[in-house]
Amino acid sequence: MKLYEKNAFELHEMLKSKQCSALEIITDVNKRISETDEKIEAYITLNKNSEIQAKEVDKIISSGERINYLAGIPIGIKDNISTKGILTTCSSRMLENYIPPFNATVIDKIKNAKMIITGKTNMDEFGMGSSTETSYMKLTHNPHNLDYVPGGSSGGSAAAVAAGEAIIALGSDTGGSIRQPASYCGVVGLKPSYGSVSRFGLIAYASSLEQIGPIGKCVKDVAMLYSVICGYDRFDATSQNIDYPDFYIGLKNNISGVRIGIPNEYFDNDIDDDLKEAVYNALKLFEKNGAKLKAISLPNTKYAINAYYIIASAEASSNLARYDGVKYGYRAAEYNGLSDMYTKTRTEGFGDEVKRRILLGTFVLSSDYYDDYYKRAKYVQNLISNEFSQAFLECDIIATPTVPSTAFKIGKKINDPIKMYSNDLCTVTANIAGLPAISIPCGYSGNTGLPYGLQLIGNKFEEQLLLNTAYSYETFCGGFDKVKKFKWEQIK
Amino acid sequence: MEIDIKHIARLAYLKIDDNQVDKFESDMKDIIKMANNLPEINEIIEPNTNTSMPLREDKCVNGICSREELLINAPEIHSNYFVVPKTVG
Repeated sequence: MKLYEKNAFELHEMLKSKQCSALEIITDVNKRISETDEKIEAYITLNKNSEIQAKEVDKIISSGERINYLAGIPIGIKDNISTKGILTTCSSRMLENYIPPFNATVIDKIKNAKMIITGKTNMDEFGMGSSTETSYMKLTHNPHNLDYVPGGSSGGSAAAVAAGEAIIALGSDTGGSIRQPASYCGVVGLKPSYGSVSRFGLIAYASSLEQIGPIGKCVKDVAMLYSVICGYDRFDATSQNIDYPDFYIGLKNNISGVRIGIPNEYFDNDIDDDLKEAVYNALKLFEKNGAKLKAISLPNTKYAINAYYIIASAEASSNLARYDGVKYGYRAAEYNGLSDMYTKTRTEGFGDEVKRRILLGTFVLSSDYYDDYYKRAKYVQNLISNEFSQAFLECDIIATPTVPSTAFKIGKKINDPIKMYSNDLCTVTANIAGLPAISIPCGYSGNTGLPYGLQLIGNKFEEQLLLNTAYSYETFCGGFDKVKKFKWEQIK
Repeated sequence: MEIDIKHIARLAYLKIDDNQVDKFESDMKDIIKMANNLPEINEIIEPNTNTSMPLREDKCVNGICSREELLINAPEIHSNYFVVPKTVG
């Protein structure tokens, strides 16, 4: 078995017992990248210092100094997370030459834990998209089948982990952008509770909805990475100053008595039949192991996509107003005066999907329409949040499919925004309500062999129970390899 | 409803080419039709005061980046200033 096939917790044991070195791990991962990334195209920028950094970690390990579980572990970073001295593009022409002069808080944390950054991964431009097809840089392919999308917007990170081009990765999730690609690529992805991971250094798309979160091949790895990145940060005014335990140490696979709510609104006719069956089988497995299943109803789910796109676009139009070609980023080559410089810079620097969302946001915030759209969307946000609060009085976890189907073929939906947006119908509610939600593999399509994802949603700041429930399923099903149809050698 | 794409684009400092206006307009109309399916508001919306947002002391502190670091990404600089087209006189 190659080192890139292993999980982080296994590699940690191997490092401690000197069965391998950090240099050997990163060398193996870098070799894998050189063999497969030509086909997968998960990476925009590779960290050329990764092997030097691994040698430093080996010195620390041999000195006997106490190390984090994830020391020496190669990690991919989504390209909207600021990395000092390393190109950070948001997969946009607007930032194609931008090198941040500072690290995001999460990057400082992973560096303190001595993780090794493999590189910056591809994404939908500025996080806007569900397939990684809106990237200005390149097209990422699903490791399960290269003709299919990896999902988005954290498609590069999910594909890198699935293909063995990173052991773990960071993504960001505004409306499903960690969970959906995790589902499409057959890996685990967690969107944490809003406020639990610092957004300082995350290049903003929709500030009230987004969180950075971990992607890994197993729940243990995701729990470890979440424990490193969570925590109060004074540089993020929305960061919550509460106690964050070690979620890896607290991981248990006993869910006796846990009440799992099943909302009928997430299981309508748009969901693949194979997927419904895979999810029901997962729920039966929970029940067999002591969980209590309960039918619930979340009727305001039907407004979720509409409210999400209004709120997210409104915030995007405000957040992306900063791109004007003055202090950093792309500037048009020719212009006539300042206004024209702004207009040409933004028109040439942004792709079509970004422009669509800026226009929608500008429209809903304009004085004639503010009450009709934005105010009503915020009202729906309240309704959805309250509905979840009520639901969590009678259940501990809510289970749904992550996405209505498997990954789709590259090019199939990119010209139909509405079809693309409807991918998000199961995931946006967790962002709207600020709740933690995780996607785990639970089966695959009989037709295509592509993976399905089960989504678990927890109450605010209840990540331990959420991770425990996910870990329980992983244990009961015999490991995620048993519910996937994937071989490492298949990427050709 | 009529959506004046060119006006909205002007507000956002974007220019939509004439040959793209129709596609953008029809995409926007579809999205707005979708977004129209929202319930009417039947109660007063209170701002959410559940989460705390503490403010720091109003004291000058050192920045996290030096001037040199902040100028590195500038499209055009002159004597430590960002250069932009003339706006006055």
